[in-house]
Amino acid sequence: MKTIEVGTAVSDKPGRVRGRLDIGALPDGTPVEIPVEIVRGAGDGPVLWLHGCVHGNEYCGTYIIHELMRRLTPETLRGTVVALPVLNLTAFLKNQRMSPYEQFGGGDLNRCFPGRADGPVTEQMAYAIYTPLKKYATHLVDFHTAFTPDTRWALFSAPGGEVSEKAETMARAFGYRDTLPAPPDLLVGSAMTTAARDGIPTLIVEAGGIGPAFEISTVEDAAGRLQNVMRALGMLDGEVTKYGPFNYFTNFAWCCATKAGLFESTVKCGDTVTKGQTIGHYFDLFGIRTGEATAPQSGVVLAIHPGALMARGETLIHIGLNPREA
Amino acid sequence: MTIQDIRIGSAETSGPGVVTGRLKLADYPDGSPMATPVAIVTGKTAGQTLWLHGCVHGNEYCGTFIIHELLRSLDPAGMSGRVVALPALNITAFNKNQRMSPFEGYGGGDMNRCFPGVEGGPLTQQFAHAVYSELKKHAGLFVDFHTAMTPDVNWALYANYEGETGRMSRVLAKAWGYRDTLATPTDMLVGSAFMTAASQGIPSLIVEAGGKGSAFTREKVEDGAERLRNVMRAAGLLDGEITDYGPIADFERFDWVSAPRGGLFQPMVKCGDSIEVGTRLGRFFTIYGDDDGFAESPNKGTVLAIHPGPIMTNGETLVHIGLNPREQIQ
Repeated sequence: MKTIEVGTAVSDKPGRVRGRLDIGALPDGTPVEIPVEIVRGAGDGPVLWLHGCVHGNEYCGTYIIHELMRRLTPETLRGTVVALPVLNLTAFLKNQRMSPYEQFGGGDLNRCFPGRADGPVTEQMAYAIYTPLKKYATHLVDFHTAFTPDTRWALFSAPGGEVSEKAETMARAFGYRDTLPAPPDLLVGSAMTTAARDGIPTLIVEAGGIGPAFEISTVEDAAGRLQNVMRALGMLDGEVTKYGPFNYFTNFAWCCATKAGLFESTVKCGDTVTKGQTIGHYFDLFGIRTGEATAPQSGVVLAIHPGALMARGETLIHIGLNPREA
Repeated sequence: MTIQDIRIGSAETSGPGVVTGRLKLADYPDGSPMATPVAIVTGKTAGQTLWLHGCVHGNEYCGTFIIHELLRSLDPAGMSGRVVALPALNITAFNKNQRMSPFEGYGGGDMNRCFPGVEGGPLTQQFAHAVYSELKKHAGLFVDFHTAMTPDVNWALYANYEGETGRMSRVLAKAWGYRDTLATPTDMLVGSAFMTAASQGIPSLIVEAGGKGSAFTREKVEDGAERLRNVMRAAGLLDGEITDYGPIADFERFDWVSAPRGGLFQPMVKCGDSIEVGTRLGRFFTIYGDDDGFAESPNKGTVLAIHPGPIMTNGETLVHIGLNPREQIQ
């Protein structure tokens, strides 16, 4: 049985091991070590890599991974699950998206893959994580959130060929209706796009909102869907639940606010919007309505700004474009 | 009889109607003013001046929205007295979605511990001074809006002073009508706007409604505006029958419990729940997702605020408990 070694977590036989992966160091010398758990079954099979909190305040993914890991037993598993529930640990501790130690580099970890051993803070993190990921992972699931508890969509890598087919299998087994087959030029520097280039099929799950804005029901449901992905990959026994129909998008539009003010949205995630439709209202500091926000494109709402305040340029709405039943 | 005209910052009344303006609190380094919005609604006939302010803590937007909802519903022609509203008091913190001003340096940044303020003091003391000078001059009654952490926050505090100030403060609390209400002793929350105002004879109420940031609902806002109209009816600013929302608890004190440990955290109680000593408030998990024990209540009472998780550091506010109600509330 091939040894899988991620930081101090070393798996060379069936069972569960834990350890820490060194991804950085604080000025006082304390290493930044992120948790790693490996659960390995008796038989050979895929190596499913799961990670969450690439963006530090997207805790729902951490909770989903934890819920899944509590449900798994080595005795009923084929292959291996490698779980890193908290990637961007220094951001996680601060309840913020990016590391508080990042200075001049771009702090969005999901634009830094595959990373550089001697790059800025976040690129070094990406490098430390991506090196074992590339070495061992046969499949990747990456967890994210948007703003609000009702966020519920997925992306899979679709560069064509076998990677696309495998990634689509994962997406269909996960089964969120709103799904984007991600073209290879989208989200360059993300773990998904980078892994896909290295032949590793990837699913991104967008479930729940930042900080405490998620429900335990979402966590439990998503863990169940992950088990279904594992059945589809042959890692768990049992019949694969067939979800559908799906909305497949051709792309998404990430629309920024062109006005500022107090803001109240009038749409929810999953709603269909048409270009020009009212999606929220702006108010001034005296509570007078100063205008409305309208959908800049037609499609399905993937994420919507929760208010209560909007600065110009914040992400107003994220729209899945050209939904077609699939 | 009509009311005398007043001026607060650039908001200057001229008989009945609505005027708006800005009250300067301080200067930015580039010379532009840190100025907080002021709206004044003047009724047709003389009466009390009700002072409302929100976002003393910059990210407690639910209060701003409640005040706005009220302002939109008021008709000066059908009103006595006056409403002075400062819906986004700590304006620089408000813009940054944080509790305290990002420009505060070495002073204590909790504005609700800085009243009555110091003219030449640290920044937040200067904010408090600018606001309180006007409040003291104009306010006959005062309602201050706050939030805690979660959307289900639903309680109030009134200044339990001797005599008429305390009596009228309780009238405001009854008219607002949240069951979970603290009869605030005079040694508590020193430096808050409401205890400072009450110490100078202004009947005062704090409303705690909703959670910080976007953690509140439209229903909460609309309900809050209606309760404010009920306060105005009780104070004689609006006509109409006063709604009786039922008994209020009259808690004797509260217990603000800091977390004795850290971890991933999931709450197990909601605001308004009755708890005993030892009641499980929430569960902790390790970074690997293992069960790692429970947070237990150190006191018997009613949950006023609970930490929403999902992560906890030592010393964060774990739970806020209302103690020893004088009225039977269950």
